[in-house]
Amino acid sequence: MKEKMRFDTMAYLVILPALLLYTGFLICPALSSIYYSLTSWDGLSPQMKFIGLDNFAMMFQDPRFFNALKNTLLLTAVVTVAENLLALLLAVLVDRVKYFKSLLRSAFYIPVLLSGIIVGFIWTIMYNYNFGVINSLLAAWHLEFLKVDWLGRPESALFSIMLTLTWQWAGYYMVIYLAALQGVPQELTEAARIDGANRFQQFWRITYPMLAGAVTINLTLALIQGLKVFDQIAVMTDGGPGFASETLTYIIYKVAFADFKQGYGTAIAIVLFVLILILATIQINILRKREIEL
Amino acid sequence: MKKSESGLGLTVVGLLLAVLSFFPVYFSLISAFKSNGEIMRDPVALPTGLRWDNFVYLWEHTRYPAAFLRSSFLTLTSIALIILVIPIAAYVLERKKVRFSGLIYIYFIAGMMIPFQAYMIPLFRQLKVLGLFGNMAGPIVIYVAGSIPFGTLLYASFIKGIPKEVEEAAVIDGCNTLQTFWKIVFPLLTPCTASLIILNGMSIWNDFLMPMLVLPSSQAKTVNVEIFAFVDQYASRWDVVFAGTFCSIIPVLIAFVALQQYFVKGITAGTVKG
Repeated sequence: MKEKMRFDTMAYLVILPALLLYTGFLICPALSSIYYSLTSWDGLSPQMKFIGLDNFAMMFQDPRFFNALKNTLLLTAVVTVAENLLALLLAVLVDRVKYFKSLLRSAFYIPVLLSGIIVGFIWTIMYNYNFGVINSLLAAWHLEFLKVDWLGRPESALFSIMLTLTWQWAGYYMVIYLAALQGVPQELTEAARIDGANRFQQFWRITYPMLAGAVTINLTLALIQGLKVFDQIAVMTDGGPGFASETLTYIIYKVAFADFKQGYGTAIAIVLFVLILILATIQINILRKREIEL
Repeated sequence: MKKSESGLGLTVVGLLLAVLSFFPVYFSLISAFKSNGEIMRDPVALPTGLRWDNFVYLWEHTRYPAAFLRSSFLTLTSIALIILVIPIAAYVLERKKVRFSGLIYIYFIAGMMIPFQAYMIPLFRQLKVLGLFGNMAGPIVIYVAGSIPFGTLLYASFIKGIPKEVEEAAVIDGCNTLQTFWKIVFPLLTPCTASLIILNGMSIWNDFLMPMLVLPSSQAKTVNVEIFAFVDQYASRWDVVFAGTFCSIIPVLIAFVALQQYFVKGITAGTVKG
């Protein structure tokens, strides 16, 4: 009995550092953000004024919030689909080639390693109207009429950011698809081929269903990642021109640290959290159901 | 029948896409050796020679070297603490089944759903109250706390796969819990540890928002924050910014080339088990 007690004490002592850090620097602030969202705190004054649900009421009358919500959803939808289509294509390609397999995989994977700031900076220069790589190439190919101020125009700014994100993250999802592809038993596709299935049928009927698990994981990760994009926007457009590329994470930051409305910022952050939770749950449920049917 | 096909066309398409994918990285690496004029005149061309003056300027006239040291310190210290704190906690939760261990495990995992933006504002005020705002301790505790949910999950699922007999033998030989863990179990978890180091190391080195807001503006911050500041401050000195970019990409590339296998394992372990 005494032996067991001493043993338990030690076990608790070993868990304690993790428990304290996690509770103190993740759970406590997360829970207190509920209270913050009900105040008009500016980030500076020592006292917080409780204002009930006023922040949320304000939010639903704020065109800037709705614009950011629209941008966030659009960006997330486009980027999630684009990244996964590209990733799947690259994975099939890398899986099939005989030579340069690991070289190709590395080339597609390297953008994943870079920070959002670095990526944003590189693409800012590539998109530059006057001397950017993209416009220079268009000029060199006598396609001057296609030259656009990619990040400087409200119509193209958000789109240009989406393109950058797709480039950066497709390699990440490719690695996951590749791992799943390598788990597809060769005998299955072989048998299908003998039965007279063409390439497309082999992929659609045999390989793709085997990838269902990877699809669920990748779409979920891409969804969450898309909803949280921040760094690239900070470097590339600062949310502009005007409010053309502002997302929810971006207005949380702007409202809290530039306009000194931290209560309001926290309220938007809570909406973002709820949005992530709802969308991810719906998506996982739909995809899981599909996995079972297959 | 081998799975790979030698189709030349496929290889060519693959190589073309690879060139396209690598181009932005290549572009930023060569630009570090160009003058401002060269970058603007012909962005795609190779530099006319190996010019080092961008790096000299970066090293002598900016806060970049200090930022580089800071980023390295933050990454290494946080990783060391993560490895000290998480594996043993996951081990006890998974194996020892003390009272509440199941509950604590779920409590730890739940944090995975909470995005940083959702708690950053209260967190910053809390750091100020505790005197952790504006010094390196702030980011470090946040990184360690933030890595607990995923780290616990990853270690717990790896530990499940280790046969219990190994530990029982150690206990018979007179090892206590701590000794059994560090001497017997921990070495068996090396692939898991490598994955966690890589995933966390990368995200800490690449972090931007938190160090920007938490560290004082009067001093050098981290590599990413300094590069972000450069883009404003040196808007006309692209060459210097590219030198900074070069210096922060190269360590990542070296780590990737050296540990490629673990990078891939880390991602797949992290997602398949998550």
